Amino acid sequence: MHIKSDDEGPSVLEDPVAHLWRGTVALRVVTFLFALGNAVIQSSGYARPWLAWVVVGVMAAWSVFTIQAYSRESGRLPWIVVADLVVACGLMATSVLIMTPMQLLANVPLITTIWACGPAVAAGALAGRYAGAAAGGLIGLSTYLIRGAMTIDLVRDVVLLAGAGFVVGMASSTARRSAVRLAQALRTEAATAERERLARSIHDGVLQVLARVRKRGLELGGEAAELAELAGEQEVALRSLVAASPVESTVDGDADLRPALQLLATQKVQVSTPGTQVMLPAVVALELTSVVREMLSNVDKHAGVDAKAWVLLEDLGEEVVLSIRDDGPGIPEGRIDSAEAEGRMGIAKSIRGRVALLGGTLELQTGPGEGTEWEVRVFRVGGVR
Amino acid sequence: MTVSVMVVDDHPLWRDGVARDLAERGFEVVATAADAGSAMRIARAVRPDVVLMDLNLGELSGVDATAMITGELPGTRVLVLSASGEHDDVLQAVKAGASGYLVKSASAEELVDAVNRTAVGDAVFTAGLAGLVLGEYRRMAATPDEEDRPQLTERETEVLRLVAKGLTARQIATRLVISHRTVENHVQSTLRKLQLHNRVELARYAIEHGLDAEPEAQT
Repeated sequence: MHIKSDDEGPSVLEDPVAHLWRGTVALRVVTFLFALGNAVIQSSGYARPWLAWVVVGVMAAWSVFTIQAYSRESGRLPWIVVADLVVACGLMATSVLIMTPMQLLANVPLITTIWACGPAVAAGALAGRYAGAAAGGLIGLSTYLIRGAMTIDLVRDVVLLAGAGFVVGMASSTARRSAVRLAQALRTEAATAERERLARSIHDGVLQVLARVRKRGLELGGEAAELAELAGEQEVALRSLVAASPVESTVDGDADLRPALQLLATQKVQVSTPGTQVMLPAVVALELTSVVREMLSNVDKHAGVDAKAWVLLEDLGEEVVLSIRDDGPGIPEGRIDSAEAEGRMGIAKSIRGRVALLGGTLELQTGPGEGTEWEVRVFRVGGVR
Repeated sequence: MTVSVMVVDDHPLWRDGVARDLAERGFEVVATAADAGSAMRIARAVRPDVVLMDLNLGELSGVDATAMITGELPGTRVLVLSASGEHDDVLQAVKAGASGYLVKSASAEELVDAVNRTAVGDAVFTAGLAGLVLGEYRRMAATPDEEDRPQLTERETEVLRLVAKGLTARQIATRLVISHRTVENHVQSTLRKLQLHNRVELARYAIEHGLDAEPEAQT
């Protein structure tokens, strides 16, 4: 049995949250530029400008390192994210040395500015919403410790940081769950295909035996012939089942007309269809199938027990044509009226009505000794749609 | 002249049964084979008039064997006998060069008749195959990028539709007021065009993909 293993298939080739990591990397770059700009503007007022530039340099180096790590699947590791958090909080703490107490109290941005939010997003992408919220909360707490006072601005920052980590974490969990489901679906699909293949070869063997029993039994005659008949019936039933591949319907409610028709085949009814799908709105396909079934039961009732019937399905693009022919005695000319009176044509009327409702046309060809032939045409454009 | 027949089927019950039926009715069963590989090898050696080919043969399918036999052995014709009548396979086999198709449940008389007709070069069409071939022509007509696609004449379409509706060649001849022979010719021509197109397509595919070197004998 061949089933796709975990490391195969498009869904599992890439980390399902790779897009979140790309976002984290982009955020790193943008926030670093922001921090750099902030340092340039504020440096003249700093207590220790030289330390500011050292810290900005460390931030640049750390950004390069984490960007490289987060860009590869092998680099998205818990210890790197934890280190990221420690480095961000540590660099943030140097603000106490860089900035004047006045600046700290006056809410001048810390040296790391929004660059410090990176680890919260990374933690969310790595380990889900709670990790994201916790990392965001920790960064917020460091801010509070550094400023030394709780202000409304600070609370806002904490909420934003924890919230961002939480939301990214939720997105990450959802993406991972979908990836797992997709992989499961792919495995199920492969298993189903394999089971179908096995079923086909078993069916083929059974069909062979049934066909042989029928053939040989008929030749032997007597009781064997009765058994042959039974085998023959089962053979046709199984063959139509095999031919009627699973009914596929599309999202917009179209269905293949062939499988339903093929199930109508019996020893006396031959169903011929194209090799490719004949798609029609599902309701139309259902109605056409029931029209054909009614015609065939009409053949059974009126054309004699030995009569055979043929169903032909053709797809002309703009229209779909169904022909149903039997080789019974047919209806002699001039008798159609009386037949209609007898109720024999009553069924024809009902069929005509149903076909008209589908926006199709119905034609009847018959004559003594020629059997009866119906032709149903249903238009695809401007018809039932 | 006795018609020589080879039976290819992976199911021993069926293979031997058919071989016996045919031998009883005066055919010379020159060989049997259980898989596509040996079918191709043996057919090359014995060159039978008719090969009865099952399609469900395991790894190499009956379609491949049909393509090789009809391609390499001009005097040998292939008649497909299939239990399940799986559509795609039957159509592929006919495009690959088979002269017709019969369901395995066909009676011994139908089989004998079909083998005789195959031996003289006639096409053996069931209603089901006619429906498939009609569908294939219409599929090609609706596929704009299929180059030089073959088309059916009006008469050929008419004849194929009647075959698909279960009329015999004689009934068709009467209905269309043409000779029985003309009906046979129309039916054959629908197959030949399909097979020729298939060969042209294969050759073009081979050239486009650099496979146009002398084909190696497959075994």
